Amino acid sequence: MALMLYQYIGIVIGIVGIIYTLLRFRESKMSPGMLLFWSIVWIVLIVFSIFPDATGFFANLTGIGRGLDVILILGLIGCFYLIFRIYNMIENIEQEITNIAREIALSKENMDRDDEKGKK
Amino acid sequence: MPRILLENQNNPESFDLIDKDIWVIIPAYNEEKIIGEVLEELFSRNMKLVIIDDGSTDRTYQISRAIVKDNPGRGYLYRHPINRGLGATLKTGIEVCLEKGADIMVTFDADGQHNPDDILPVCQPIIKGQADVVIGVRNFNDMPEVKKVSNQLMNLITSIFYGANVKDSQSGLRAFNRKVAIALDIESREYGISSEIIREIKRKDLRMAEVPIETIYTDYALAKGTNLKIGIKILVKMIRDVLK
Repeated sequence: MALMLYQYIGIVIGIVGIIYTLLRFRESKMSPGMLLFWSIVWIVLIVFSIFPDATGFFANLTGIGRGLDVILILGLIGCFYLIFRIYNMIENIEQEITNIAREIALSKENMDRDDEKGKK
Repeated sequence: MPRILLENQNNPESFDLIDKDIWVIIPAYNEEKIIGEVLEELFSRNMKLVIIDDGSTDRTYQISRAIVKDNPGRGYLYRHPINRGLGATLKTGIEVCLEKGADIMVTFDADGQHNPDDILPVCQPIIKGQADVVIGVRNFNDMPEVKKVSNQLMNLITSIFYGANVKDSQSGLRAFNRKVAIALDIESREYGISSEIIREIKRKDLRMAEVPIETIYTDYALAKGTNLKIGIKILVKMIRDVLK
């Protein structure tokens, strides 16, 4: 079975993805849940790259015409989901930064006044 | 939403004697050119000031600090280490006022667009026990056309999303009592705070009054405040609040 170029690219991206995921997990920068999620994503990518025909099964299952379309649509939905997650994450971080900034502000004035009392 | 509108508040003879402290919250971000003048004006009127510098990168903090030191016991200066927006700044100011036992709090823009003489009229409905929160209403007819349209748009948006019809939803001059300061449940970090306060007034069924105020349109003040970009940001935030 001669592989097409896109299949090689898919396999390489999948392997790089798995290595990167494992490294992130080893450095404790990824939760076990995310390790599982990303491992599945990359393995699925590799499997579909080696056996493109396997997508036909999902195409029939979902009623979407071609196998590749199913992958693309799933990929898009996945991307949107991730953007949503990241958006919420950033929002939370922004809120936390604000809380810290306000806390610092409130404690600084008190320190300021203590200094003045000290001088007197 | 119970509310009253007092047209002739600017007649000093009708003022009740004030036995309560009035605390003025001044959120300031990069206002070095004007803040000194604004603070001096307010101190000369015997107000207590809480100045929150929202991470200014100019000399706003240093200038404020010098003036606060000249008025010991009447001014309190705080500084956010980084810029966090108007909403966060007002929240810090309210927290300070509550901690220091303020009865009446007034928010007052640091850019010199408000007339310090409007503070007492705006506080009157609260002093007289007629209202818990007062919004200073700017005269839209005096506004430059772009400002007028964007403010009317913001009123419309506030009305659509929060169901609250007010004359000036984006006004920076407002007064409220302790009860309101505690009740306010606000999250916005940016300019959306103005509409959010209106939402809270409606939601918590607070007694609101609207008092006409003067706006001083210097070239300096014109360059600041709500513009179209901020308006769009507030709109996006409101849509998200509804979808939440």
